[in-house]
Amino acid sequence: MGKLSGSVVTGFVAYLLIAVALVGIQPDGKSVRQVIPVSAALNEDSLQGYARAYQPRPLVFPEDHGAHPDFRTEWWYATGNLAAEDGRRFGYQLTLFRIALSPNAVSGASAWHSRQLYMGHFALTDVAGGQHRAFERFSRAAVGLAGTRARPWKVWLEDWSFTGTDEGGFPLRVRAREQDISLDLTLEPLKPLVLQGDRGLSRKSDEPGNASFYYSYTRLNTRGTLEIEGRNQAVQGQSWLDREWSTSALGDEQSGWDWFALQLDDGRDLMFYRLRRRDGSPDPHSNGVLVAADGSVRHLGSQDVRLDSLGSWTSPETGDRYPARWRLRVPRADLDLTVTPRVADQEMRLSVRYWEGAVAVAGQAAGQPVAGQGYLEMTRYEAPF
Amino acid sequence: MKPLLWRSMLRHLTRHPWQLGLSVLGIALGVAVVLAVDLANASARASFMLSMEQVAGRATHQISGGRQGIPETLYTRLRVDLGLRDVAPVVSAYVTVGADNAPRSDDHPGDRGELYQVLGVDPFAEAPFLGYLDELSEAGVDLNAFLTRSGAALLSRTLGRSVEVAAGSTRMTLHAVGWLQSPALQHLIVTDIGTAQDLFGKAGRLDRIDLILPEDAQGERLAQSIRALLPDGFKLERTATRNQATVDLSAAFSLNLTAMSLLALVVGMFLIYNTMTFSVVQRRGLLGMLRALGADRRELFSVVLGEALLLGLAGILLGALLGLWIGSGLVHLVTRAVNDLYFTLNVREYFVTPLSLLKAGGMGLLVTLIAAWLPAREAAAAPPGAVLSRAALEARWRAALPRLSLFGLLLLLLGFVLLGFSSGLLAGFVGLFLLILGCALLTPVFMVALVRVNQGLIRGLPARMATRDVARHLSRTGVAVAALMVAFAATVGVGVMIDSFRGGVAIWITDLVNADLYIAPIALESGDDTQTLNPAVVAGLRTASGVAAVSVYRRNSVEIGGRPVTLLAVELAPRAKTGYRLVEGDPETAWRAFEQASAVMISEPLAYRQGLRAGSRITLPTAHGNRTFPVVGVFLDYGSEHGRILMQRGTYQDAWDDKAISTAALYALPGVDLARLREELLSCVGAVQPLWLRSNRDIRKFTLTVFDRTFTVTRVLRLLAILVAFVGVVSALMALQLERAREFAILRATGMTAGEVGWLVSLQTGFMGFAAGLMAIPVGLLLAAVLIFVINRRAFGWTLPFQVDPWILAEAVLLAIIAALLAGLYPLWRMARTPPAQALRSE
Repeated sequence: MGKLSGSVVTGFVAYLLIAVALVGIQPDGKSVRQVIPVSAALNEDSLQGYARAYQPRPLVFPEDHGAHPDFRTEWWYATGNLAAEDGRRFGYQLTLFRIALSPNAVSGASAWHSRQLYMGHFALTDVAGGQHRAFERFSRAAVGLAGTRARPWKVWLEDWSFTGTDEGGFPLRVRAREQDISLDLTLEPLKPLVLQGDRGLSRKSDEPGNASFYYSYTRLNTRGTLEIEGRNQAVQGQSWLDREWSTSALGDEQSGWDWFALQLDDGRDLMFYRLRRRDGSPDPHSNGVLVAADGSVRHLGSQDVRLDSLGSWTSPETGDRYPARWRLRVPRADLDLTVTPRVADQEMRLSVRYWEGAVAVAGQAAGQPVAGQGYLEMTRYEAPF
Repeated sequence: MKPLLWRSMLRHLTRHPWQLGLSVLGIALGVAVVLAVDLANASARASFMLSMEQVAGRATHQISGGRQGIPETLYTRLRVDLGLRDVAPVVSAYVTVGADNAPRSDDHPGDRGELYQVLGVDPFAEAPFLGYLDELSEAGVDLNAFLTRSGAALLSRTLGRSVEVAAGSTRMTLHAVGWLQSPALQHLIVTDIGTAQDLFGKAGRLDRIDLILPEDAQGERLAQSIRALLPDGFKLERTATRNQATVDLSAAFSLNLTAMSLLALVVGMFLIYNTMTFSVVQRRGLLGMLRALGADRRELFSVVLGEALLLGLAGILLGALLGLWIGSGLVHLVTRAVNDLYFTLNVREYFVTPLSLLKAGGMGLLVTLIAAWLPAREAAAAPPGAVLSRAALEARWRAALPRLSLFGLLLLLLGFVLLGFSSGLLAGFVGLFLLILGCALLTPVFMVALVRVNQGLIRGLPARMATRDVARHLSRTGVAVAALMVAFAATVGVGVMIDSFRGGVAIWITDLVNADLYIAPIALESGDDTQTLNPAVVAGLRTASGVAAVSVYRRNSVEIGGRPVTLLAVELAPRAKTGYRLVEGDPETAWRAFEQASAVMISEPLAYRQGLRAGSRITLPTAHGNRTFPVVGVFLDYGSEHGRILMQRGTYQDAWDDKAISTAALYALPGVDLARLREELLSCVGAVQPLWLRSNRDIRKFTLTVFDRTFTVTRVLRLLAILVAFVGVVSALMALQLERAREFAILRATGMTAGEVGWLVSLQTGFMGFAAGLMAIPVGLLLAAVLIFVINRRAFGWTLPFQVDPWILAEAVLLAIIAALLAGLYPLWRMARTPPAQALRSE
């Protein structure tokens, strides 16, 4: 979701925290009414006191892989398509969000006081089994339960973690355990880092400061092990890593978004997010990049991409109706692609509901057939009340 | 025939509304008291379970241990390294709300405030644990503020938007960022774990770690791996085992209350019996007529029984309403007593369970049926056409009197045998009830004897007529007086028991608390028993001028037979030793062995429960495994029903590696001004650590206050029993006199004035009240003796002195006579209004 416009991001997080008020996740995955109701953990007036992204600045690594606690929100977002030795395909998503609850430190002698909240989403898609399982957890950044470290960089939420293994940050170890699933991957970039927007500053609206710092690794070679249902197997494939941090406000006019992170087998990678407006018109802040095999980047504006949804899929659990497939065209690059979920139901039924899952890509590039894989995210397709 | 039969019978009831109303009231009161006590007990129990759930949540296991708490790094390891999901850290202790700031002294004991439990939680870890938080779904709880605002808390609405709390010497203002909605959570405050650590000065420490482990082999494996992580002195244990142990502790208390309430029902049963017998006798003419008209015995039997059931049902309905109302008041008393005696309930809700209602209703119905059985048979036995002669009935009664009395004696004997040869608490209560029943059956014969004695003593026709009449109408007067006797005996018994108990406690606390000043760290008083006296404070006390001797105490707790037994490690000043009254063991040799030979002394309840005596040995779980200590003395103690162990501090230090001191007591030199000494101590050692300095008077007063609070519920039950008895007297005697309207009319027609008849009636009812009150005294004393020497001993393990306050005895007799006289008023008033001729005609 490093692909979301800043305003939508904030909206998402605010929405999420309100949602936490109503839903909690029990160990058996069943939703229950939760606990200490959360509301307005982030309200719209509370931007004051946080750092804002006004203009591009040089990003420094590995420091910038770590947390930026003065910004209100931040995330580490890894998705990928994997295959076991026997050919079974899997998709995975591990996202750690950092959410600042207050711009000021909390006073008190206790080490539990912290103004940083971490939220994690972890999902695994078993393509052959047609299964998708998603998990969520929260913790404050205190007493070692969650947090970040810059050198060597590490972000963790209990036993879900991203751990850099050398000075440059890579290879990156991604680990997550939940119930009978245990994922342990090592990620190595195959292309240099891509600065999104203007040298890493991704503007979300015309208002100054309503922007995020945003960079991606669009293709990382991935190896490791996946243990599921007691069976430990070696897996390999390709991942995508997004990093974004910001302090932005929600645009009232934006109703949701669709985000594509596609890796084509001709070596090119395509990222595009389309913001949907409430009035149905395309939002001009929709944005993307096309990364060539050699790592060179072409930026895509909202007018560069044509998106059409094909058919629809209705979640049997929630009744939300999502596009079943997509046709994505980039006329300037002579690309015409069809994006198809590997499993129809990859809905993330967590404290916030969205669809995020592994997709297969097929189509034509300059008249030649091209295939690929990637991840697709679709949000706010709630059934009308 | 049938509807007519019913109508003719029921008509009688509606024509005697007073009689009807009072008998319904009688059963209603009985049912109400049983229901109220049952509800209060059930509520206290449910509150307890809820309290436990609040503090233990739905945890299956918990990690506890370490006098200073659990390092929070252990929690992080469980979650991050072991990857446990259902694990939650808890910091929990008590704060006082509304305590005043002024320093305490003899002249100013101060308002101690109300205790609240603060539960410091990590909201992100709690989801699977705390069921009650489901109820907190009220919008507007601000998690952001809960986590980041200083002093943020979830408060009960009764506390208002913000409240100042005190934990030891720390004061903090808590602000509501959300409300605990359920009224059940009134004595709870929920804060973030960080806030709780700040409040209690426990940075880096947890009081408990809650866990939910699966109930299978995997759960066992997890438990193993957790135990492997635990440092020495910490344990992982099942919460169910912990909770059950505490529930059992209060069982004796509940049983006591239940028995008291059953007593009220027994009195109610007498009332129903009385009413039904009475109504049958009154209608002997009608019954004979009905038989002549073709109603068979079975029909009459069922009609009378049905009538009783109808009354019973009305009484049960009324009693249920009344019981619900009384119960809501009683539950506060019961939970407060439980709080004082056992554990702090932060849930104090009134739970009305269908089971309680069913139980009380069923009991009421059963009692009604039993009570109506005999009168119904009586009715069925009415010969057709003939009028069942009153004289014949009375003759039958008199003839049955020896058999009845013999049966009463038999029950008494059985009761004594049961009490003598059993050891359980329940058997004790059964024995008690047998004694009461036996005495009740002996009442008629006692009355006849009393009348005979009376006849020889008194002069004057009305008086002689009045008393002889009582004996002549034994069928009704006997039952009425028996019911009254039981009710008043119960109040005498319970009254004497409470008095004796209080007297015993007063002597005990005066002997025990004989030092001049008592010193404790302030936090200790707020329930945080991990606080200890700074060694500099103890040294300061010993060397202060004006101090003759110092005793020091260290409190610990060991588990014996599943009960938490207090272990007191002491170094006693010579005078402190005289405060312990040894009920076993020779003081001189016992104290010598205590100080020189690692021997221990144990309290009476512990000795009773564990079957220990002076000369036995007791095995205790020390820090170095189990060790056995010789018991050289058993001391009188009402401080803990679970028991206490007294141990020399040196012995304790060797076995527990604990050098700390919890409290100290100080004896001043003769002639030292205590107030001055207190000020001086406060200014020197009080600077080292915030301290309470209390005088012995202060502690004694507080002890007795707690005692009185605990027994409030018993006193209330006693008052209820008196009320039932009062209604009983009024109803029985009034009915009796109303029925005799014709008799009085004859007396008046033959020349007696209304005043003379009034005198006669008052004498008669007064005599019956007097008889009941008089007999209630020995029976009440017997009851008190059983309560003191059998029930209390079996329930709590301690012996009480037997003290009788004559006023309690006089009270019973007086109340009985007043009630009896009151009962005569309405019949008198009616009689005075009715011309004799009309009264004669009306029959």
